[in-house]
Amino acid sequence: MTALTFTSKSNSVHNVDCRRLTPNNLANLTVAQIENLSLLNTKNSPKIADCFDVSGTDANHIIFKKTHHQLDYIGHKMTSGQITIEGDCGDFLGANMRGGTIICHGNANDRVGDQMRRGLILIAGDAGDYCGSRMIAGTIGIYGNIGSNIGFAMKRGTILLTKVPSLLATIQDCGTHTLPFLTLLFKSFSAFNTPFNALKNLRVQRYAGDLACNGNGEILICNINVSA
Amino acid sequence: MVAAASSPIKINHATTMIINSIKIDDTFAEAFNMRGTRVLITAQNLKWAYHAANAMTGFATSVIGCGVEAGIEHELSADETPDGRPGISVLMFAMGSKVLMQQLETRMGQCILTCPTAAAFAGIESDDQISLGKNLRYFGDGYQTSKLINGKRYWRIPVMDGEFLTEETTGMVRAIGGGNFLILATSQPAALHAAETAIEAMKQVPNVIMPFPGGVVRSGSKVGSKYPKMFASTNDAFCPTLKGLVSSELSDDIESVMEIVIDGLAFDDIATSMRVGIQAICDLGKASGVKRISAGNYGGKLGPHHFKLHEIMGSASS
Repeated sequence: MTALTFTSKSNSVHNVDCRRLTPNNLANLTVAQIENLSLLNTKNSPKIADCFDVSGTDANHIIFKKTHHQLDYIGHKMTSGQITIEGDCGDFLGANMRGGTIICHGNANDRVGDQMRRGLILIAGDAGDYCGSRMIAGTIGIYGNIGSNIGFAMKRGTILLTKVPSLLATIQDCGTHTLPFLTLLFKSFSAFNTPFNALKNLRVQRYAGDLACNGNGEILICNINVSA
Repeated sequence: MVAAASSPIKINHATTMIINSIKIDDTFAEAFNMRGTRVLITAQNLKWAYHAANAMTGFATSVIGCGVEAGIEHELSADETPDGRPGISVLMFAMGSKVLMQQLETRMGQCILTCPTAAAFAGIESDDQISLGKNLRYFGDGYQTSKLINGKRYWRIPVMDGEFLTEETTGMVRAIGGGNFLILATSQPAALHAAETAIEAMKQVPNVIMPFPGGVVRSGSKVGSKYPKMFASTNDAFCPTLKGLVSSELSDDIESVMEIVIDGLAFDDIATSMRVGIQAICDLGKASGVKRISAGNYGGKLGPHHFKLHEIMGSASS
């Protein structure tokens, strides 16, 4: 089976809400059925075929091609499977995510993993503001640059970075540590073709918060220039 | 302390099997159904993995007094463990799932959580999952965090040396305990040397442990006692100093008997282990001072698994 592929049509001038395009929503549907679905549950919603060329059969692995920063809510409330984004994407990537994996080979806009509860998001490029906001659990990795207000109102979960971001005052420095669980995490990353495969060093700078909401989340800064 | 083996032992003296001048009794070891689990313990180096594993498998020789029978199965190289550190595989057996769960949790808390740099992981797949670190997490007092990685949940508990990492659950499987054989020799040093030789060979067999000190037990027991409060007592038929007093199983030249008890995940694992151990003793030959190999049983009435020595040793006789 080939991955279910959504190739974005270049005529899009508005933001496209992709929240229905998840493995759990599209399981057992044919390409024709998917093309005929409305993007949103509204009367005047465009059909999926209006925005994407659809191909493939395996809804457990969804690929977005020819993507751009107007594709919002990719992976919203997804519970399982994998979504691969071959370029950039818009806001709310993996918002309310409940499980599964999202791999973004480009950049993501604001609110990555907003209210995310479980699962893994790996972004090879940059991410915008409020990454991991209101995050409940799960793991987000951002290899590139990060915007402001990362981990805002974060309760639990792990955000993995390679660069030190500008941090909220309510996210506290816990020092530099060697964390054994990173071996398992890095090993799990090896299943995906991302720059995260280069991470070997278990020694990280750990920040915890958001203390404004009694949060127990963590932001880990990996040193990509030092080998294990 | 008492061991699992017991009289009355049924020996058919009419059938003879002799391997390299050592007689194999026509009898069988009688074994019981148990519940078993495996835990992989890792640490910064093998030294500290052994500290953790030795503590966890300490005071775990017999279910009669310890609740569980536990032992080290084998060492693990760094590329065999989930976290890429050297480790030890530990097997643990109990008569029921409830006791096994209680003992595992207690030993995890007192022996693995406390041991510097140690981490614990599930070592066996099963639909029956029992708590490994699931309840230990509360030691973290709210600062514990979990990670779900590749479908498995792990707990990270902040401790004074950094973080204690443990998998949430491990598998529990049906297992067998009480496989055994007896080494009858002309002297105590001869019996012990033969037992040590057997244990070294049996350590190479996967899925089994020999839970007694050094893998060897000298105090085989029989069911019952002249004292009403004792439910087991010394196996007088195999005590060399009682040869003139009781209905002894020992000939005049036997001066010492030692027993090896084996717990395993499956019948074939125990049978293989017994064959390897007995063969190692037989390879020592007549000069070793070993005269006979026998086995402990309850007459076949209590344990459903019978390990017949002649069948196990097969065509190895001469």
